Amino acid sequence: MTNLILRHGITVVTVLAFAFFGWNAQGFLSVPNLASVLVNNVALLAIAAFAMTLVVRTGGIDLSIGTAIDMAGLAFVAALRVNLGVTIAVLAGLAAAAATGGFNALLITRLKISPFLATLGTLFIGHSLQQLLADGGNPIYVTAASLPPAFQFLGHGLILGVHLRIWLVVILALAMALLLSRSSFGRRLTASGMQVNVAWYSGLPVDRDIALVYVLAGVICGIAGVLLTAGVSVYVPFAGNAFLLNAIGATFIGTTLSRSHVANVQGTLLGVILISVAANGLLLIGWNFYWQQLATGMVIFLALAFTFGGRRLAGGTP
Amino acid sequence: MSSISSRLRPTAAALGGLGPSQPVTGLVWRSGSLIAIIFILALLAWRAPLLLSPGNIGLVLAQASIVGTLGFALTLVVAAGGRDLVKGGIDLSLAANLGLSAALYASLLTAGWGDLPALGLTLLAGLGVGLLNALAVTVIGILPLLATLATMSVCAGAELVLTENLTVPASSPFLDWLAGQGPLDFPVMAWALLVLAAILALLLHGTPLGLRLYGVGGNPAAARAAGLRVRFYLALSYVLAGLLAAVAAVLAVAFTSAATPGSDEMLLPLIVTTFLGTVFSSRLRPTIGGTLLSALFVGFLVNGFQLLAISSYWANGIQGFLILVVVATTRKLGPGARR
Repeated sequence: MTNLILRHGITVVTVLAFAFFGWNAQGFLSVPNLASVLVNNVALLAIAAFAMTLVVRTGGIDLSIGTAIDMAGLAFVAALRVNLGVTIAVLAGLAAAAATGGFNALLITRLKISPFLATLGTLFIGHSLQQLLADGGNPIYVTAASLPPAFQFLGHGLILGVHLRIWLVVILALAMALLLSRSSFGRRLTASGMQVNVAWYSGLPVDRDIALVYVLAGVICGIAGVLLTAGVSVYVPFAGNAFLLNAIGATFIGTTLSRSHVANVQGTLLGVILISVAANGLLLIGWNFYWQQLATGMVIFLALAFTFGGRRLAGGTP
Repeated sequence: MSSISSRLRPTAAALGGLGPSQPVTGLVWRSGSLIAIIFILALLAWRAPLLLSPGNIGLVLAQASIVGTLGFALTLVVAAGGRDLVKGGIDLSLAANLGLSAALYASLLTAGWGDLPALGLTLLAGLGVGLLNALAVTVIGILPLLATLATMSVCAGAELVLTENLTVPASSPFLDWLAGQGPLDFPVMAWALLVLAAILALLLHGTPLGLRLYGVGGNPAAARAAGLRVRFYLALSYVLAGLLAAVAAVLAVAFTSAATPGSDEMLLPLIVTTFLGTVFSSRLRPTIGGTLLSALFVGFLVNGFQLLAISSYWANGIQGFLILVVVATTRKLGPGARR
């Protein structure tokens, strides 16, 4: 019974949040507002949180998802500024993010540094790199001359009347859900996340799989980085770090949906929606940015308390 | 007396969870890292002779007092929580706690509060944040990494609400004294760092309480079997850490005569300080002495860079590189290396 309440608790909280803001905040439930929340709040956070979900599934953590997002944006803008064309620029962005993930993979699987410290180191180095390359952290604008239609499409394009970002979130969510629950790669990852030694002694290629996960997480962040940069036509240094806390929060809130408390795509998506709706609703109620920060922190704290406290009550060890 | 020593014995057994001490490798290791660091500092001092002038040493120590105090706080938490970074002890809220406490302290002084009540309330606030962490970790059972990440964002939000992201200037007789020169023409803040280090080193390395904290962190199951109240010591480490963050906040306000936004930038240096400090311990544990040495090392490094007019943009990257090198080499070569 406790388990049942726990597993559906986040769904209930999300529905309650919708009801509360629908009742109290003027225009919250209007179609334009919800669409704007989806495109501007949910989409990019969801993509970043998917990367986090993948890593957390293996029992790791990635503090450098913001760095991967920023690196992608930087490489994307740099390629556009030298007129390499949008396709090459996108590939450059994804490659830069993949390299960030690859650096993590190297540190974690070759040098056996714990994911926390390894990705922390990457975060540090990425910070310096951006300061050095962006002249101390100044925004780099995409010049007007280099704005082909394909660039506009990346930032604001619609397919069948639905924003490109939403399509990408849906495609990524489906692909990741299939990968995690239906493929042998996904099962190997879950095994590594639960009992890495058992997985290793069972002859699973643990290091290779985990390395692949960090590179993959980098690429997924790269998608978010390119979309973010294309959306605002400017690379803002360290912008990606804003996603870190919320991505971690969403991923761990999402673990409540799973019977075995593993990170999963559906749960993460629900966590992202809860966090985004709370931010938008508070804004509409008239709370300023500062109070929103405080409230978001409290929402995450309460969600975590609910998750882990419930588990402890249910008798499982967190 | 005999009751104390008989109670200490099982605790020492609990410490066995860290692996038998290897005096020879440990000594070689420790002196190796010391030599490496002295070599780097000597190189810096050779290129920038001003580095080791008495005035500059005092300045570096005063500067290092803030991140050093935070490093001591993290040292306590890691000692009692264990070194596993996701499941063990970590407090990511320390820097944000400093920001909030500093904002509160400066705001209270600006509002006309006296030194003593403002100081008391500030320390209480830091303690409160530590208590929240302790509650989240030991009673609710949230992973420390996540619990303190959440309190970090609560603190950062509360600081924003309090200051609206503006600098709050502050001055008082106490702050003036703290920011001034002390005995031997050495800044008071430098003395504060050394005195604090001495007190905490005594607490952590010279009392049964300290031994129990390490015992709880080294092997919780053994510590529990030995009759230690594991949750109590774990909670205590977070509460003390919160209090130390408030102390660091007071030092920070004294150093800049204001509470300034952007305390979150201190989080990474403070983690580097604590984990870099483990190379000075023969068992690669975080210790107060090691944390002090690494705080001074990073302080001199950054200061040396400034003297050599190397861009400050490199500072983060160097620190990130340092922590990776330290952790990777301790993994491969240090005492107790595996695989």
